[in-house]
Amino acid sequence: MTDARRDPLVRRAIEELRKVPPVDASATQRIVAAAAAARLVPSDDEPPVLGPPRRRPLRVWSMVGLAAAAAFVGFVVRGAWSSNQSVTSDTAVRTIASTPAPLIRAAATNERESMPIPQQFVFNNGSAHRVAVVGDFNRWNPASTPMTRSPDGQLWSVTVPVAPGRHTYGYMVDDTLLVLDPRSPKARDPDLGVDASVVIVGRP
Amino acid sequence: MTVRRGTFLSSFPLQQPAQAVVLDSRTISRAKLGDIDAFTQIVEAYHGRCLRFARSMLRNPDDAEDMVQETFIRLYRALPRYEERQRFESWLFQILGNCCRTANTAFQRHTSRTAFDDETGVERVPSLDDPSAQFDGEWSEDVRRALAAVPDYNREIFLLHYIEGFPYEEIERMTGVKQSALKMRVKRACEVLRARLAGARSADD
Repeated sequence: MTDARRDPLVRRAIEELRKVPPVDASATQRIVAAAAAARLVPSDDEPPVLGPPRRRPLRVWSMVGLAAAAAFVGFVVRGAWSSNQSVTSDTAVRTIASTPAPLIRAAATNERESMPIPQQFVFNNGSAHRVAVVGDFNRWNPASTPMTRSPDGQLWSVTVPVAPGRHTYGYMVDDTLLVLDPRSPKARDPDLGVDASVVIVGRP
Repeated sequence: MTVRRGTFLSSFPLQQPAQAVVLDSRTISRAKLGDIDAFTQIVEAYHGRCLRFARSMLRNPDDAEDMVQETFIRLYRALPRYEERQRFESWLFQILGNCCRTANTAFQRHTSRTAFDDETGVERVPSLDDPSAQFDGEWSEDVRRALAAVPDYNREIFLLHYIEGFPYEEIERMTGVKQSALKMRVKRACEVLRARLAGARSADD
């Protein structure tokens, strides 16, 4: 058995590996600046959520273009295939006009389904002085979504627009303590090794 | 800057024990609220150790600086979720370990420069020849090469325990791997290190 305590070769290797490499002060500043900038913009893995939904007119127009192109190809193929048959202008118009409609409807439906849905968060804590809901929908920013205390002082609530889908969240109590929602299931973030409450936001 | 330095409790004493940086809990609380000065203190306190871990852990040590930066960015984003009952540096090294594992997987998938050693089933890392990615000296180079021969999953636990000074029960909490399995991994890492270093010494002789 190789035991590091008894093996001088391994001991020396460990001593060598324990040397801390020199750190450039400018590198530290670069890291701080990059982290500060990154906190202001959502990362790729964080769903953008609060605020008005992102408009994507390009997507609708690209659908129209695609549909028009498909209709044109169909028109040409049909014309070549039945060159001896008479194709009236009325038929051609019907072909172009009817093809894009379902695609446009589908694009509009997708747009509608991705719009944020008002989601109410309620937290029971009579002793807290301040409570905020934090989650992937507000980049876990405690200052972003403060909750309002009920008249009896026991409940805290807030309603925020959240994009449909699965979200993780928690309640930040007095700016220091993250508390999970006892009424919701919890999940562990495999990347960060911390637990969070889970809510599924969707249309009925 | 409210930083204390103390001797790390390691499994065995070394001539030059590793230094652990213990941050004031108020610094971490302030960083949780987005205080950039407090976050700067955290980076200053852990940058060197993170760099040391990343250089030893990554198959391409040239990526170490980038990976450390990525780790601190993730940390800053996730700070509001940090639970004070968890040891801060365990959490930091957990994030760093995840980043390094992801980078190693990507490096393995995309590079065609790694050569596979059929006899031992371990991978060699040619980029260790880069002088900027290693410490000076022949011995240092031998150690780096020997460490690169340790499989990733054993190397990470070895580094966490013997280099960063985490006790096995803490690593168990960080990784979810039972202590008996962790000890076995460290033992195997030591065996590979010893065999490789002995081989290097006999070759030199």
